Amino acid sequence: MAKQVIFYGAHWCPDCDRVKHWLGEHDIEYSFKNVDDGEGVVKEMLDKTDGKHLIPTLDIDGAVCQNPSSEELTELFGVSSEPTENYHDIVTVGAGPSALAAAIYTTREDLDTVLIEKGVVGGLAAVTDKVDNYPGFPEGVAGLKLAEDLRAQAERFGAKIELGEVTEIKDEGQYKRVVTSDGEYLSRAVLIATGSDYKKLGVPGEEEFYGKGVHYCATCDGAFYRDRRVVVVGGGNSAAQEGIFLTKFASQVDMLVRAGQMRASDVLVEKVMNHDKINVHFNTATEQIIGEDGKITKVIGHDKKQDKDVEFETDGVFVFIGLKPNTGFLKGADVELDDIGLIKTDGTLQTAVPGVFASGDVRSGATMQIASAVGEGATAALMMREYLEASD
Amino acid sequence: MADITNITVFTTTTCAYCPMVKEWLSKKGLEYEEAVLDKDPARQQEMIDKSGGMTVPVTLVARDDDSEQIVIGFNPGELANATA
Repeated sequence: MAKQVIFYGAHWCPDCDRVKHWLGEHDIEYSFKNVDDGEGVVKEMLDKTDGKHLIPTLDIDGAVCQNPSSEELTELFGVSSEPTENYHDIVTVGAGPSALAAAIYTTREDLDTVLIEKGVVGGLAAVTDKVDNYPGFPEGVAGLKLAEDLRAQAERFGAKIELGEVTEIKDEGQYKRVVTSDGEYLSRAVLIATGSDYKKLGVPGEEEFYGKGVHYCATCDGAFYRDRRVVVVGGGNSAAQEGIFLTKFASQVDMLVRAGQMRASDVLVEKVMNHDKINVHFNTATEQIIGEDGKITKVIGHDKKQDKDVEFETDGVFVFIGLKPNTGFLKGADVELDDIGLIKTDGTLQTAVPGVFASGDVRSGATMQIASAVGEGATAALMMREYLEASD
Repeated sequence: MADITNITVFTTTTCAYCPMVKEWLSKKGLEYEEAVLDKDPARQQEMIDKSGGMTVPVTLVARDDDSEQIVIGFNPGELANATA
């Protein structure tokens, strides 16, 4: 039977944080009473301590101790002196711009924060050739550089980044258990900032030629298409930006846009439309990717206006048709999702599970911009701090 | 299992997933050789022949029984299996 622990302390008290951390590392729940909440709490504590003013004070099944050392705690609880849990105050799932921004804030508040990343630190921003709309960079900034700088800033304040894939988040009450491919973490608050990934087309040939001519990352694989022809599928900002990037290598870029116009920003549309290496084909649905001997030879599109098939000879296809939220690992969890799989949150960015927050591109209502993901990360950090203090 | 004799990571300078593979290997204390394909195009064909693809990063794990294992992309689970 678990011991009943009453913890008298304050949010400004470093020894309270030390003891909370020790309790977390041993998965021991406690009910926190803040001595700043009024005389009632102080009186209750003093009645137990024979009038001794000292925090943290712990009442463990009626046995009282004050400012215990780790050795004393080990003895009092009869547990191993080594931590049994990989405990952090906050775990973020993902280490994209939103999580990194949150970590900059939480670590500066002395909240021990670990970020778990299964792909690339910096997320989709890191694989974007150039980011032109992130405030503070008058000439734009390479996505990878922005990602590296955000990471360096978060790490400067003590954020830890671990590489692994989160498979499950378990709500165990005061603690949340984050299960990954490499082990488990225990924390008191979790931020889900897993962002979104590029959607697949779902046409014949796409699976077969994945990585062998079908690509979803121009900065990764564009260099293989020096002096070759490529097709870019999509008509949004990503398709436009990456299409322009590909002209550094490719001799010709055919852009297949399903709609009658592009959905990219005016600046990008103008660049694309006036680029002598890019041909834009509107009203053209991508239907099939065809190749032989393991190499792509052409893409078959359907011109919806003239209702006829069109062939595009090409060496490679780059697909940028929108985003799919990375929430697959939440299947069966109590976190609520919307119709397209984005996470629903309340006004404090908290999900349906208390203590579990979401920010950035994975959040229902997000605007899919790096600047707003960063802003939401900062907001989530402040809300998590409030949650931790209120739930203490 | 046979001992690892060599790990090669094929990368390009603009690829964001490439440093993740290098970081993962370093964190596990594994040494590797890097082939930067946009600086060293001569090795492009070698990678295409080995991986059958044109995507980076590609990690090639060679062992002293002449076996080779290939991991395409940054995939911590697959990297862990290939280097176990």
